[in-house]
Amino acid sequence: MATTFVSDRNLNFLLHEVFDLASLAEHPLYREHGRRSFDMIIDATLKLAKEICLPTLREMDEQPPVLTEGRVEVHAAVRRFMRECGDGGWIAAGFPHALDGEQLPQMLTCTCRYIFAAANYSLSVYPFLTAGAARLIANFGGAMLRKTYLPPMLSGRWQGTMALTEPQAGSSLADIVTEAVPMDAAATKAGSPYRIRGKKIFISAGDHDGVDNVVHLLLAKIAGAPAGVKGISLFVVPKLRPQSDGTLIPNDVAVSQIYHKLGYRGCPITELEFGQRDDCHGTLVGAPHRGLFYMFQMMNEARIEVGAGAAAIAQAAYGAALNYARLRPQGRALGAKDPDQPPLPIIQHADVKRMLLFQKAFVEGSLALILQCARYMDLEAISTGVEMEKYALLLDLLTPVAKTYPSEMGILSTSQAIQCFGGYGYCEDFPVAQYYRDVRIHPIHEGTTGIQGLDLLGRKLVRHNGRALGYLLAEIQATIASARNTAGLTAHADALATSLDQLDAVLAHLTVVAQSDGPDAYLADATVFLEFFGIITIAWQWLLQAVPAAAAEGTARTASDRRFYAGKRHACDFFFKYELPKATALATTLLHPARPTLETHARHF
Amino acid sequence: MNIIVLVKQVPDTESLLEVDTANATVNTQNVKWIINPYDEYAIEEALQIKEAKGAGSVTVVAVGPDRSEQALRTALAMGADTAVLVNDAAAEGSDALGIAKVLAGVIKEMPYDLVIAGVRAVDDDGYQVPAAVAEYLELPLVTAVIKQELGEGKITCHQLVEGGSLVVEAPLPMLFTAQKGLNEPRYASLPNIMKAKKKPLEKKRLADIGLDAALVGTGSAKVAISALALPPERKGGKMVTGDTPEALAAELVRLLKEEAEVL
Ligand SMILES: Cc1cc2nc3c(=O)[nH]c(=O)nc-3n(C[C@H](O)[C@H](O)[C@H](O)COP(=O)(O)OP(=O)(O)OC[C@H]3O[C@@H](n4cnc5c(N)ncnc54)[C@H](O)[C@@H]3O)c2cc1C
Repeated sequence: MATTFVSDRNLNFLLHEVFDLASLAEHPLYREHGRRSFDMIIDATLKLAKEICLPTLREMDEQPPVLTEGRVEVHAAVRRFMRECGDGGWIAAGFPHALDGEQLPQMLTCTCRYIFAAANYSLSVYPFLTAGAARLIANFGGAMLRKTYLPPMLSGRWQGTMALTEPQAGSSLADIVTEAVPMDAAATKAGSPYRIRGKKIFISAGDHDGVDNVVHLLLAKIAGAPAGVKGISLFVVPKLRPQSDGTLIPNDVAVSQIYHKLGYRGCPITELEFGQRDDCHGTLVGAPHRGLFYMFQMMNEARIEVGAGAAAIAQAAYGAALNYARLRPQGRALGAKDPDQPPLPIIQHADVKRMLLFQKAFVEGSLALILQCARYMDLEAISTGVEMEKYALLLDLLTPVAKTYPSEMGILSTSQAIQCFGGYGYCEDFPVAQYYRDVRIHPIHEGTTGIQGLDLLGRKLVRHNGRALGYLLAEIQATIASARNTAGLTAHADALATSLDQLDAVLAHLTVVAQSDGPDAYLADATVFLEFFGIITIAWQWLLQAVPAAAAEGTARTASDRRFYAGKRHACDFFFKYELPKATALATTLLHPARPTLETHARHF
Repeated sequence: MNIIVLVKQVPDTESLLEVDTANATVNTQNVKWIINPYDEYAIEEALQIKEAKGAGSVTVVAVGPDRSEQALRTALAMGADTAVLVNDAAAEGSDALGIAKVLAGVIKEMPYDLVIAGVRAVDDDGYQVPAAVAEYLELPLVTAVIKQELGEGKITCHQLVEGGSLVVEAPLPMLFTAQKGLNEPRYASLPNIMKAKKKPLEKKRLADIGLDAALVGTGSAKVAISALALPPERKGGKMVTGDTPEALAAELVRLLKEEAEVL
């Protein structure tokens, strides 16, 4: 069967025809790169994904990790993939040359992760979690930490983790109680050793036999620290402690259980006990009490990665559904009454096309937003002053949307993939049931949807006098203007302009609510607002794609290119007819004076 | 030890191929191009030999249009040192012997101890080019190798044959073709992709290797493809009807004789 877990034609379109990746290579930071190396990197990624990740997708789901004698055993593919990603430079892809990385633009590293995640999400997590942990060490750790930890992590020998969550502290990290006590009361600065004691739960890849060591980037409170988020520090806590002679000794980190999950079963989620024998050493990263700040520096990237993971899984499910719909004969054209006529492939039924278009519009719209965010990261890295601030604010503002829209809609999109398969989709013979289970994690980890809503409405929109929104509106207006000049897109341009008016009205209303009734009322519907804002954002991303697609459709030289651009046009039309109007309904809700969620008391349920 | 590897760029077997019946060819406009998978074994083996010896070079050679450069760059990204592409419109339409003449023409200008090729190319599936190259260069040939050991001035090859394998010895220089099972080709790594951009890739024309254009290309090809078509679509099955097992069997035999004409 043809490889359908990802569309390289669409990746090409987005990277080059919409976001002009190659133009980045004009800047000194990326001067080593160019279109040719970009293409080779994508090809190499596709090959690795197809040959290592895809074949174990199902097996890793059917044979989840097991905890035996305190050690987590994972599928053999994990060690192989970690080594390939380490030796092949994929973990270090985005790191600077000075750290032996390839200094690739985010648009490209993001695309590579997307490809791996579409092939096998669970497997893709191991190397890229390691990259995230290593980046914290690279950005905030001292020379000793970098020297000890970066080489084995970037080469895929050691796993990196993010150890934040505790039983009583999930969404609210202010409540963590894991404790760090300086080994030497006089040495409390960056790089100092601390004794760690506490319990972490749900830690992804927190222990496994696919690597030789595990390095936890752990949040803890130094004894006597201020209460709340201002008293949280970041530590490097290895499973095995490197000695000065290079040997490794146990560091009193124990796995007390692994969780049995709905999906995403190829990666263990562990409960970890630190310092039960009072012999767990951790090294302070950066300054004391700045831990959450450091973590948040990495948060945009981590959250966008979650959105990319959701879109990637839905992409693979859509590919499977599309294949199936072309092959499955069932039913006849509505007018055709002759039972001797052969049945039609279901892709010919309008309602099946609706389901496929829904998935296409979701997947390609989401991926566009993810790459848009990656582009802002790249532009931030190569600009200075006001320009740099602009891209940083745009990225901050769009991050909760790029995390949540793909995550929440990914559930619906993979569900529609199952629906295309009918009863066969509900059975495990086809991969769509697994995709549906796998995608469900995304609205939960890296900050739940509820937390993202609060982040968008409570922080991102109001900070810096609302400048972020101003920048975003200018970007959207520019797209609307170019769509107005494009034949066939004026109606969509007008529709998006109307949505911006609705956004304006909703925000004006909420400002009054905030002033008159306080933050509880202002934020009561933050999640609904996020959904509303998300739909408008994706409509913008569709218009942004439709403009170059419309120009290219007329001049395309090959039949398959013409089909591709026509497909873009139809998917854009679909989004504007079926999805954007939902924003109007949400605006109605957001403007509605009733407040059942505030007024219903716990005892009323 | 200097090793030359023959590389062909072929359509990814997962590409949807459209037959161009009018021109008796395949429409390659929308094809994704890759290195012939058997050539990857050849490249890998060359790299392993070089690494084991700790010295020498691996040169990849291809004949083809501009786009073949991608395949050579990918081979460079796997670790090959240099590449040569013979890109000449006059060579287009060559049959296996024509291509072999061009390859032999390039190779004979270069120093080498060993030539490795894939056992076959997954597009034309002709198995002929490596053998013809060996013939033109007057080299010993061992096909379908699944294991080899290099000795002083000689090589021992394990050749896959039906039902088993033969152990064959040949003096160097020689040419062998790589069969699946020889090794696990490595993946191109990011650092090597970046390095590959800077590695030498020489482009040559027929004149550069002193080959008369009249000896290659469509004109001199001994093989011509007269027509190309997809296999006929499979028809739906036919249900045999009859009241008794005997009647069913008789009807089946009749159909096999008269309609399928297999009895
Ligand atoms: C598969 C998996 C992998 C994970 N990997 C990691 C990892 O590697 N490292 C790590 O540290 N953690 C990890 N986690 C933990 C994850 O980040 C948390 O589960 C998540 O942050 C939510 O915390 P919680 O589970 O305690 O839920 P809670 O915080 O109890 O939330 C329950 C519900 O209440 C809502 N809620 C909570 N507070 C508020 C509020 N103030 N206002 C409005 N609504 C609110 C939430 O939105 C949610 O719907 C993982 C979890 C899973 C399931």
